[in-house]
Amino acid sequence: MTAGLQTAIRRIARFSAYELTVFAVVVALFLVALVGPLLAPPSIYTSNMLETLMPPSADHWLGTDDQGRDIAWRLVAGAQLSLLATMLVVILYSAIGMLVATLATVGPRWADELLMRISDIGLSLPGLVVALGIATVLGPSLQSGIIALALTGWPMTARILRTTMRQTMEQSFVEGATVLGVSRTRLMLKHVLPNSLDVLIVKWAGDLSYTMLILAGLSFIGVGAQPPSPEWGAMISGARSYTSIAWWAVAAPGAAIVINAVAFALLADILQVHRDPSLRS
Amino acid sequence: MSYLRLVGQRLVMMVLTLWGLATLVFIMIKLIPGDEAQVAAGAGATAEQVAQVTKRLGLDQPIPLQYLNFLGRLLRGDLGTSVVSSKPVLTELAAVLPSTLELMVFASILGVLLAFPAALVAATFRGKVVDGVSRLVAVMGGAMPTFWLALMLQYFLGSVLRITPITGQHSFGVSAPSITGMPTVDALLAGNLSAFFDALAYLILPAFVFAVPFASQVYRILRATLLGVLASDLVLPVLAKGASTRRIVLRHALPNSLAPTVSLIGTLVGGMVGGAILIETVFARRGVGGYLANSVALKDTYAVLGAVMFVGVTVCVVNLVADIATLMLDPRVRGTQFRSGAK
Amino acid sequence: MTMVLKRGEDVADQVHRPVPLLNVDQLCIDIGARNASVRIVDKVSFTLGKGERVALVGESGSGKSVTAQALMRLNPRVRLSGRVDFDGADLLQLSAGQMAALRGSRIGMVFQDPMSSLDPLMTIGDQVAETLRIRGIGRQEARRRALEVLDELKVERAVERLESYPHEFSGGMRQRVVLAMALVGEPDLLIADEPTTALDVRVQERVLDLLDEISRRRGLAVLLITHDMGIVAGFADRVMVMYSGRIVEENEAAQLFREPQHPYTRGLLEAVPRADRTVDRLPSINGAPPLPSSRPKGCHFHPRCDRATGVCSAETPGETFTPLGGRVRCHLYGAG
Repeated sequence: MTAGLQTAIRRIARFSAYELTVFAVVVALFLVALVGPLLAPPSIYTSNMLETLMPPSADHWLGTDDQGRDIAWRLVAGAQLSLLATMLVVILYSAIGMLVATLATVGPRWADELLMRISDIGLSLPGLVVALGIATVLGPSLQSGIIALALTGWPMTARILRTTMRQTMEQSFVEGATVLGVSRTRLMLKHVLPNSLDVLIVKWAGDLSYTMLILAGLSFIGVGAQPPSPEWGAMISGARSYTSIAWWAVAAPGAAIVINAVAFALLADILQVHRDPSLRS
Repeated sequence: MSYLRLVGQRLVMMVLTLWGLATLVFIMIKLIPGDEAQVAAGAGATAEQVAQVTKRLGLDQPIPLQYLNFLGRLLRGDLGTSVVSSKPVLTELAAVLPSTLELMVFASILGVLLAFPAALVAATFRGKVVDGVSRLVAVMGGAMPTFWLALMLQYFLGSVLRITPITGQHSFGVSAPSITGMPTVDALLAGNLSAFFDALAYLILPAFVFAVPFASQVYRILRATLLGVLASDLVLPVLAKGASTRRIVLRHALPNSLAPTVSLIGTLVGGMVGGAILIETVFARRGVGGYLANSVALKDTYAVLGAVMFVGVTVCVVNLVADIATLMLDPRVRGTQFRSGAK
Repeated sequence: MTMVLKRGEDVADQVHRPVPLLNVDQLCIDIGARNASVRIVDKVSFTLGKGERVALVGESGSGKSVTAQALMRLNPRVRLSGRVDFDGADLLQLSAGQMAALRGSRIGMVFQDPMSSLDPLMTIGDQVAETLRIRGIGRQEARRRALEVLDELKVERAVERLESYPHEFSGGMRQRVVLAMALVGEPDLLIADEPTTALDVRVQERVLDLLDEISRRRGLAVLLITHDMGIVAGFADRVMVMYSGRIVEENEAAQLFREPQHPYTRGLLEAVPRADRTVDRLPSINGAPPLPSSRPKGCHFHPRCDRATGVCSAETPGETFTPLGGRVRCHLYGAG
């Protein structure tokens, strides 16, 4: 028990104060997303025409929007939607990517070749534009945005994973394992998958950052979440028309996106450096 | 491997990519809810018009044949017809493309001007304060929604401080006759300097916003590659010649870092055609992105898909050019073409 | 041309007792944070006369390359202490600018792998001339002198070759270019760190012969760093053997080959017939040299030494001058 605690402490001590701060911020962001909607008062979903477009004050920390709704609380309530949708996109396309990579690794040579060509094609297409096309066809909604991004995001994951999987398969311990008669499935589960996850985790942090921006962009163009949803991109889109009289209604949700995206990007950097210490400066 | 063969490989890959995109677009057309002929003819079309469209697009034929017809039409440059304007999508896009290209070129130049000095300084003073600050700025630049940055700059620089125009491409009444479709170039061609500076003023904010995420990425890869070269065996011999760090970075590390950087710039410039959707919407500029966003708003699905195809082609061409440029930078590849007689 | 001749005369006068050019005194090299630093080179002292050719021999990890780089202060990650007197000035006390001015013009250096030592994107001519261009010498003049050196190094069709890129050269040719880069500034001392290791045996010989010839003609002092006793024999006047961060034996080359004193030197010499293969570990001595962080107490060689006694693991042997004119660090020869 105490030994476990000691190793845990030692592990934490390996991280610098800066790195621990980034971890703490990321955890805090997830906590807000988790409990935010439960805490937010119901008034953020209704109009209050007596308090529209109020600048930031003690009552309304980030002011109110054109419906008199408290922006700060809407951000907190929308955190779940924004972060959850982002995570969902990343999870979905990672799953597709994983499936493609696995098929390419265990399948015959021609399947590998075919799947990797398709991935290359996917990689050289403009993701945002194709996603826009898909979302338009599906009809504008947050779900459409999520599906569109899931369908366009997977090629990079597939490529990276396939490389890792091949390498792991070729490593000596795996060769030893096949000789010993361990089944292919078991091999995938015991060795190849854990190694791949290791690679994916670093990628995920960066992906969250990037996907959050793209998703907000889709909402802003009007094919993602629709106002009055408190999804942050939709909030900016909704407040855009009255920027000149209530700039805070645009600034606040954008700042929320920036804080999240920066936190995830920094997390990705930290994880990357810990995987490959030669990058440390 | 010979230079021409490498270029040939890229060309084949590009054709494959466009074929893949065309297939994707075809599937999307098939997925549009409702009767396809009715959608293509427009919501208010008569039964007779719908029948005409059905015949023209061959919608009464089996799907595989429709697919081949579709590919054939694409090869002839037929990207479909806008339901709203009844004009061919290609004609409308060709008219607005120069404006987008103008924005892209300015933004890329601005981005390179921001990223290169920053990366060179950061790599020279690795681990020092300048390095840390520039890295943080780059992370923030990359993690900022462009449309939001655009709105904020419009408000603070345009509305509050009034130092930049807010939307549009030129002031009312100040414009040169359109020849190329790029306001700055047109003004220069007409010899109208005031129109040129006017157009430039309208260009500066969107180009800057566009350049921010671009510069952030270019900075990151250039810094990383520079550090990679600086950690290689190349450095000690040059240092032993008596060279300064500055010389090593500028004369040796920079040229050796250029290939991956140019390659990335190509990818990013290609991606800009897509990113233009957000920028051109916010700044109310003519352009491919603005056209796309507008078509989305008008629910002109055919125009959207035609534009998607168009952007795909543009991106692929830009990528191809960047690939060739990257190859040209390496004497090991270049040599096989220009020096084949030397050895 | 007159410069070269004059130097040659100087050397002829001093052939019996070389005037010291480089005097290394108690050089220590440490790496790592101050509170957890590891000593990789421990109190190394030696001298090198004008025009003298000295070999520093050791296995990989012995600290020979680190020592070579330390003389030119090329590695900013290590801490140096002691003295490195070169032509009257302590190199360790010079400012970074003064040190850079010495590099290339007074001290030249050649590195192991001629492929990765050359910039793949710069022409051979520009790379050789760079040493001079850094010092503000004009393009034409620098090019002319680069051509001279390439001719001196017997690079065929040197005029055409100036415009070539490294990938168009063979390994041996590349190493000549690397040599040219180091020699074009007409240094007094050339540090050659495994200059021929990456080359095949016949090319190795040719490059060494060339270096030998130039060294004699120019009166150039050469410090040859190598793990290969085989290439030392025909080249060096004097040999120093390094093991695990210390110089364990030094003598005139002929004496050392005839009567090696230190058990480690003997082991090295037994490995010589295998010079046709570039093996980094010596088959005739069991085990491997220790890592700098886990070096044993006493004589670093004692765990691998077949003549080790109790005192070897307890005390670090001091330096003993032998009747043969050399010095050795071994308890077998200690006075008491």
